[in-house]
Amino acid sequence: MLKVKRLKRTFNQDTAGFQDINLSVKEGEIIGILGTSGCGKSTLLRVLSGLDQQYEGTISIENGSNNQIGMMFQEPRLLPWLSVKKNISFGLEKEERNTEKYKTYLDLVGLTGFENHFPKDLSGGMAQRTAIARALITEPEILLLDEPFSALDAFTKMQLQDLLLSIWQKKKTTMILVTHDIDEALYLCDRIFILKGQPGEVYSEIAVEKEKPRTRGDGYLSKLKAHILHLLNVEKKAAGEQQ
Amino acid sequence: MISETHKWKVAQRASPQKLSSSRGFFQIGKGVLIGSILPIILLVIWEIAARTGLLAAHLLPAPTIILEKIISMYQDGSLFGHISITLTRVFLGFAIGTVAAVVIGAIVGYAKTAERLLDPLFQAIRSIPSLAWVPLFILWMGIGEPSKISLIAVGVFFPVYLNIVAGIQGVDRKLIEVGRIYQLSPYQLTKRIILPAALPSFITGMRSGLGLGWMFVVAAELMGASEGLGYLLVVGQNTYSPDTVIASILLFAVLGKITDAVLKWIEHRSLKWQDSITNQG
Repeated sequence: MLKVKRLKRTFNQDTAGFQDINLSVKEGEIIGILGTSGCGKSTLLRVLSGLDQQYEGTISIENGSNNQIGMMFQEPRLLPWLSVKKNISFGLEKEERNTEKYKTYLDLVGLTGFENHFPKDLSGGMAQRTAIARALITEPEILLLDEPFSALDAFTKMQLQDLLLSIWQKKKTTMILVTHDIDEALYLCDRIFILKGQPGEVYSEIAVEKEKPRTRGDGYLSKLKAHILHLLNVEKKAAGEQQ
Repeated sequence: MISETHKWKVAQRASPQKLSSSRGFFQIGKGVLIGSILPIILLVIWEIAARTGLLAAHLLPAPTIILEKIISMYQDGSLFGHISITLTRVFLGFAIGTVAAVVIGAIVGYAKTAERLLDPLFQAIRSIPSLAWVPLFILWMGIGEPSKISLIAVGVFFPVYLNIVAGIQGVDRKLIEVGRIYQLSPYQLTKRIILPAALPSFITGMRSGLGLGWMFVVAAELMGASEGLGYLLVVGQNTYSPDTVIASILLFAVLGKITDAVLKWIEHRSLKWQDSITNQG
């Protein structure tokens, strides 16, 4: 589906960004990219989405149709002058933009009845739901998610994670999710890549072998969480032991 | 303190977006009522002072005399001619100035090279007080309509131009990225993201441009006209009739206010989506 070889994009004389990333993503998989801040995980998504073109290495996508990639950002990034309905239809071709196609996706994200609201009248969660619908309506092969729920409160966050999962169950969209929330990654992803260092490199790859939907705080996931925390904290611990 | 805050809120709500609802109408009425208390008191004092001879009638005639002057001009038919020629000049100058500003402003705002090439020149021209153009325009185009309209257009151009450039350059990079995710062409990006995002500052520019347009129509008509409200000012000055001068000042005020209200209405209609104080509720 998606293959990335020796991908590299660094800033400030190789002190930020990422390097030597090799990934291959299968169709319908949800991949998590986990890491502390500054390890280049958002940059990785910007490169994959085409927003940042100054990279080295290769990115290849199979079954390349025209709308290969959809992206969701940390903020909803809705266009404030368009109603919810028009925001959702934004990425469609001109002929389709004024059809009723948006309705399916409006219902899918649970915003039925809000189609004529402007973004200023939406709550943070509703705005992010609109953004999900906008990202999905073009039926992208791969959906890139850049910490999509990190600005939301805990309850809204869980609701939207479940929403994303139910959409995945219906559409089997391939997703790459960048996050710094270990629980989120464990709840949603099939495989998790841990990025570490400056510039960031893949430090570890973890397969979460559990059917979705999963139970939050399940024993198996808790063990994995402890493992991931251990991986992320290695340097800190080492420093502590030396004292 | 509390009552002052309350008044402020009433005034806030008395803006045109409430026109549609009957409650809004009532609120506007209330706002207008409060706003007219002081002017009415001043008018009454002025009238009394003029009648009792406290104010010299040859310098500041009573409001009723000014009103009579306007009515008499209306009756002999000259009022309409003066108003329409002035409005035509403002409108033409405003239209030409705005169109030029949109075209040039869009290019300068969008293309970095064009900005480096053109912006210093426009900034330099902008620092010339626009009235300094008057003699040159008369030399070039005579004292007819072209020189007047050009002067107004120059006055309107700069505020509109500056606001468009600022508006386009201030468009949120994050929204532009959304467009790039959907692989919009530069033309589509401009049409679907940059222009709508720059609209608020464009309208602000138009409103201040219109204000300058009214200022420059006075200058243009003072420098030599045979009709128009500015011409009435000159006539009033030369014939020692302060009623004519004040009458035309009043008409300028009323027309200026009406045209600004039209723009404000357009602003409200097209910027309903904005998350601002006036759009609450």
